[in-house]
Amino acid sequence: MPFKYFGKTNFTPYTKVDKFADYLHKGKLMGTKCKKCGEIYFPPRADCLKCMDDSFEWIEFSGKGTLNSFTTIHAAPKGFDDIAPYTIGIVDLKEGGRLLAWIGDIPKDEIKNDMSVKVIPRIFEEIPEIKLYYTIEKP
Amino acid sequence: MELEGKTGIVTGGSLGIGASIAIELARAGANIAINYRKHDTEAKEVAKKIENLGKKCLVIKADVTSYDDAESMFKQTIKKFDGLDILVCNAGITKDRVIWKMSEKDWDAVINVNLKGYFIYNKLASEHFKDQRSGKIVNIASINGIRGKFGQSNYSASKGGIISLTKALAKEVGKFNVNVNAVAPGMVMTEMAKNIPPEFLQKAVDETVLGRIATVEDVANVVVFLCTENARHITGEVIKVDGGQYI
Amino acid sequence: MEANTYNKWVKQVKIGIVGIGHGKFGNRSDATVQELAFEPFKQAIEDAKNLGREDIDSLVVGSVPEYHMQRSLPGVVAEYVGMNPKSVWLTEAACASGSAAIRTAYMSIKSGMHDIVAVIGVQKMRELSTEEILALMGRVGDVQWESIFGTTFPGYYALYANRHMHEFGTTKEQMALVAVKNHYYGSMNPYAFFQKEVTKERVIDSEDVASPVSVFDCCANADGAACVILTNEKLAKKFNDTPIWLEGMGSASAQMSLLRRPNLVEIPSAVEAAKQAYEQAKVKPSDIQVADVHDCFTIAEIMAYENLGFCEKGKGGRFIEEKQSYIGGKTPVNVDGGLKAKGHPVGATGVSMTTEIVKQLRGEAGKRQVNGAEIGLTHNVGGIGQYTFVQILRR
Repeated sequence: MPFKYFGKTNFTPYTKVDKFADYLHKGKLMGTKCKKCGEIYFPPRADCLKCMDDSFEWIEFSGKGTLNSFTTIHAAPKGFDDIAPYTIGIVDLKEGGRLLAWIGDIPKDEIKNDMSVKVIPRIFEEIPEIKLYYTIEKP
Repeated sequence: MELEGKTGIVTGGSLGIGASIAIELARAGANIAINYRKHDTEAKEVAKKIENLGKKCLVIKADVTSYDDAESMFKQTIKKFDGLDILVCNAGITKDRVIWKMSEKDWDAVINVNLKGYFIYNKLASEHFKDQRSGKIVNIASINGIRGKFGQSNYSASKGGIISLTKALAKEVGKFNVNVNAVAPGMVMTEMAKNIPPEFLQKAVDETVLGRIATVEDVANVVVFLCTENARHITGEVIKVDGGQYI
Repeated sequence: MEANTYNKWVKQVKIGIVGIGHGKFGNRSDATVQELAFEPFKQAIEDAKNLGREDIDSLVVGSVPEYHMQRSLPGVVAEYVGMNPKSVWLTEAACASGSAAIRTAYMSIKSGMHDIVAVIGVQKMRELSTEEILALMGRVGDVQWESIFGTTFPGYYALYANRHMHEFGTTKEQMALVAVKNHYYGSMNPYAFFQKEVTKERVIDSEDVASPVSVFDCCANADGAACVILTNEKLAKKFNDTPIWLEGMGSASAQMSLLRRPNLVEIPSAVEAAKQAYEQAKVKPSDIQVADVHDCFTIAEIMAYENLGFCEKGKGGRFIEEKQSYIGGKTPVNVDGGLKAKGHPVGATGVSMTTEIVKQLRGEAGKRQVNGAEIGLTHNVGGIGQYTFVQILRR
């Protein structure tokens, strides 16, 4: 599954961590772990920030975490005006690292900072193209 | 056994091609649910044969033109077998007439069972398969849906429709790792076919290049293949099983 | 000069600003980028005394190229203002390009390579359509993991605002008070884009751009240019009776992505750059008598009060509520209108801030003068804080 298929619009079709899209298509949220020093990363990165080693392995994330902050975007950039307004949130993931994504089916008045959430892998259903993403849901 | 641990629904699984498909899927390792409309005795016999193979079979009374019956069948099957992986739509009827003698009822009945019935089951299966990101759907069509057949304007229309439905659906669910294919048999030797006048049967044999007409297992084996991982890269396809009747 | 003596001299030599110029910010569809750059350049030369254009031995341009049709814009700017064949190039650091360019000039004079350097911060924001600009601004964070969800520049600051409100009880009202103050002072600044005052209610009632940031919490895109001329202390008095010295030059970076920052309530590069500047200038936050900070959004100014040490962490909302950033308060901030009233021509802003503080320290700020100001500060943030430059200036 090309990394190009990740996101409503993708800006980085080529990356050392392109396998992320493969896993996401299968419904798995994967991060990376440095084989040398054990540091864990989400979003995944191929080259270790800490020890600069470039051997890494993929590890599965549960998607569980807490909501750090969120905002509802009304003035949307090019390519997103058809879905505005939409709410994006930042989640502190249980296993470490952070993630930014749309908030999915949580009712507006129930979205609160520090609430427990779960990130769910998704595929856009109503279009012929394959586009992968994930959303923030109640656990 | 390639389908070990899998569960399949086969509509029209109490008789003929459907019964054979149910049995062969079970032989490959799957648990099966079949429906019947009138033929409960035959349905129970199919279930017995499946149980003799060491697999389980759920028998449900359902009219394929009823959405509620279908929903209930899916619910029961998923509950009993803890999931669903395969749908084979096979239930079909004929009401052959030349068009000027064909009533609206003759038309509607065939379209409802053969085409609308497939829509209902394909829709319910797709909803389930897309969420679990895996599934196999096989729709039994007919070579008469590819070519036309005298006296079968309704039947041909329904079978042709099944083929297009199959292709359209394949495009919608492909991204969810679901394969949708059609099998188009020619003349098949079923219990029903035994009632066809011998000269018509002979005509069919003459059309083939293999000099024989299909057995129900000939069709069922192809259906089983399409449900295995060996066929994982086949989708939106129509496979004729007609001995060369229509090349 | 002997190596040791040279090194000591380099470390000690002061760099001062001897000429300033500022163009009108706003909708400048009347001029090309090089024509825009000419205005403050001429002003700055005239502002200095005994300075001819031919005395300037290098030009640094601060600008963000992506917004312009003209590629390699320092080329056309240098040609138009008449700096050929002197050394010219671009320094870019998103919205902090102006300060980054001043740092380049400072370094080149400090090293002894040049004596008199002009810095022009210039930007046209409106050569692209609003849509294209919005798309560009959304690519400020991490395009691999964030822009695919349609993030925007105000959206990032909104994520900060939301968390700041959650952790410290900062309110939309307090944010609005920043806009009220800056437009109040902007109405007295003839170079500002917006000359009208604004009420707190107007700000709060304006529609959300990215909740809780609403339209009036945001600075506007603007075209504009500003210029400063720097030289070393040997030459400074020749060109100006009151050179204003760059005593603290802080510069720091932070993770591009909010996903990798320690928290969402402060800009780490601002804290770090401020620390460097205070150390180099040997002053404390309470010594700062007038400041220009980067209020691209009202929450940014509130966080700046905290990150610069003008108030305790989390008390930024209270600071503006108590009017401590007005003239007469503890630390007057953005009394030229800030980005909010002036508009934000990204490459020019840092230079504009510097000219304002220079004016204040010279006593030339007229109605907006902070009486007796001797030590001032500029705080210029690039993008969502991946760069911050903090300058401390002294009379």
